[in-house]
Amino acid sequence: MISFLEVLQRATTGPMMSAKEYDMKVFIPAVREVVKKYKIEFDPKDPCPHDDDLADRIYQAGVELYSKVGTYCTDTERIIHFTVEEIEQAVDECPKVVYFGEGPDRIEWHGRMPDDNKLPHCHVGSGTNTTEDVALKMVEAYGRITKAKTTSIPSLTTVGTLSGSLGSPMEVLAGINMMRIAREGLRRAGRPGMAIIDLHPSCASGIGTIASSNPEFGARKSDGWIVAPHAELKINYDSLNQVAYLTSWGANIGQEAGPIMGGYAGGPEGTAVVTLAYAFHGILVVRATYHLTYPIQMLNVCSTTPEMIYVISTSSQAFARNIRAPYYALGYASAGPATKQYFYEAAAYLLAIQSSGIGIEDVHPNKAVGTNQALPIDSEFTCAFGHGNVGITRKEANSIIKKLMEKYMPNIKSAPKGRDLYQCYDLETMKPDDELLKLYDEVIKELNGYGINFK
Amino acid sequence: MDVKDIFAILTKAIVEGDSEQLVGLVKQAIDKVDPLEMVEKGMAPGMTEIGSKFGEGQVYLPELLMAAEAWEEAMKIIKPRLIETGASMKKQGTVVIGTVQTDIHEIGKNILANLLTTAGFDVHDIGCDAPATKFLNKAEEVQADIIAASAIMSTTVPYQKDIIDLLESKGLRDKYVVMVGGGVVSQDWADKIGADGYGELASDGVQVAKKLISQKKGA
Ligand code: B12
Repeated sequence: MISFLEVLQRATTGPMMSAKEYDMKVFIPAVREVVKKYKIEFDPKDPCPHDDDLADRIYQAGVELYSKVGTYCTDTERIIHFTVEEIEQAVDECPKVVYFGEGPDRIEWHGRMPDDNKLPHCHVGSGTNTTEDVALKMVEAYGRITKAKTTSIPSLTTVGTLSGSLGSPMEVLAGINMMRIAREGLRRAGRPGMAIIDLHPSCASGIGTIASSNPEFGARKSDGWIVAPHAELKINYDSLNQVAYLTSWGANIGQEAGPIMGGYAGGPEGTAVVTLAYAFHGILVVRATYHLTYPIQMLNVCSTTPEMIYVISTSSQAFARNIRAPYYALGYASAGPATKQYFYEAAAYLLAIQSSGIGIEDVHPNKAVGTNQALPIDSEFTCAFGHGNVGITRKEANSIIKKLMEKYMPNIKSAPKGRDLYQCYDLETMKPDDELLKLYDEVIKELNGYGINFK
Repeated sequence: MDVKDIFAILTKAIVEGDSEQLVGLVKQAIDKVDPLEMVEKGMAPGMTEIGSKFGEGQVYLPELLMAAEAWEEAMKIIKPRLIETGASMKKQGTVVIGTVQTDIHEIGKNILANLLTTAGFDVHDIGCDAPATKFLNKAEEVQADIIAASAIMSTTVPYQKDIIDLLESKGLRDKYVVMVGGGVVSQDWADKIGADGYGELASDGVQVAKKLISQKKGA
């Protein structure tokens, strides 16, 4: 595989142009061209298709797209280009298994296939805004779920009574603070070696990441460290600095991408191809050993609509069949926490990703914009879903998803807001209140009726 | 060709984002048709149409960007004529828009910028990761009416307050209408920091901008 140093070299020697020119003259036309050439068409009747040929066409379209557009470096205003051969070689040689955590909590994560009989990787937690008083309890609750293999940790904006913002020294302090809290939470849950991945939502800058990675604060290279792009397929030196540091340290690096349907990628077809193309950016530019994606719809800002289920299903199938590295997806529900609609939306998304052959993670309620809204019960739901539906096929998933959509799509724009952690949990025991327990029981029974099992 | 037909083709070329056709026609028609009317009766309805199609999810950002680009290309020819004839276009107002310091979530901001353009505002986009001074400097430079700041994360919303603090410290708070929005931003937050307007969605943002600008001009 092309070395990271060569990537850096290309960032300073590739063709130069403004970001606008890249979007308008390089990116948008190339996406349109490959969508047409590979005959990729969205059919709302099949949100989760079981068409291997379509999956492979999306893969081919993604390779061709990435060989044309590469990754744009916003600091040098140049394109980092790769040839088709370089992309294919990178796919062949990239790690197909990743090791997370330490001691008895150490796990292996392998890629899966669509319609696979293997248990998917179950990842829990959320990097959403959380107040400091409950952050420790949240992480402890995530750690207590033994089926969960890795966890995300909350995003903090405070250190005690001080609050701050990204880019200020407060980011560094909040990042370190959250790192310490998270490790302590897992220790309290009896899983001190469990890996914290998706680091580090309190930080976005290279300096924040590097500062909070000091082992003194509980961080490890066997945790997972994600590096963000700019939309779409762009990167800056700050992110490349993170890569320079993380590769030198030998840490697990995650590629994260939130491609936007309706944005530069265009409709569902283009977004599926772009979502897949991020994998090549991940392997080559970010040097990723695992991949996280969260395509999202621009107008509703959620990922449970038919278009978005199509995007995540088809791009995941393309990835699973052709790259087979550790990959998982994060969904955004329109409905708020502790509502029936949240669980319907979450079930639809989980059906799509589990059957399409990738790892699963908690679907975030209320589009992840609320505070203290990612409930531990969501994580239990995710894991029970993953274990209960091993071997579910895309065909089965597709038909259940359509029935679930009949229930939630009419309310997607005016989804119920729900209740946050303070309103529906006993914070002493971290147990849901009776109202939520009753709702959860009812929802599980209802979903059982659709053929979804929980274990 | 009848003037009405010309307007209809101009509208269509904008909607299709077809710069070539648009520019070709503008060049042909510029000596025969009033340039101001070309903009207001031909091109502007195209922008309104594409803007509402976008709002309904019928077309996507690339189509909107292409329409905006076609518009800019055509304006390169029309603007000098407008200046010559002394005619001035009806502008809703001038907006400086950006995503706040350290935040690189730019899509929401881009949508609002494009919708404001299609609604007839003169929009100056200062990009993402923009410090408060950049908002103010640009606003002073282009004599803006509105400053619109997007922030998507709980860790970056405090920078919206910085913009207001900066305006206050320079004694310029009353000169500008300040609008805030983005994922975690709420009406409560907007009130707390003393912003003039908030919109949950970009389309709300356009309505709020129109309302605030008419209040400002009325005042
Ligand atoms: C896509 C995305 C990304 C992409 C952004 C691509 C880009 N360049 O734009 C990438 C991958 C780069 C990214 C990176 C990160 N992200 Co991010 N990201 C998202 C995601 C999924 C969608 C954001 C989006 O574009 N939505 C679509 C647009 C259309 O919605 P919108 O911005 O809200 O805008 C609408 C309205 O708010 C309104 N609006 C917007 N601005 C304005 C302004 C005015 C004046 C008005 C009136 C209206 C208005 O109009 C828009 C349309 O209606 C969100 C989750 C979410 N649901 O928002 C997380 C999210 C915002 N990200 C998050 C995080 C933590 C990060 C990172 C720190 C992760 C990391 N550790 O690397 C980095 C930070 C990078 C940085 N320095 O900014 C968190 C924030 C948590 C928090 N503390 O608040 C979220 C909530 C995800 C989560 N945890 O689940 N992210």
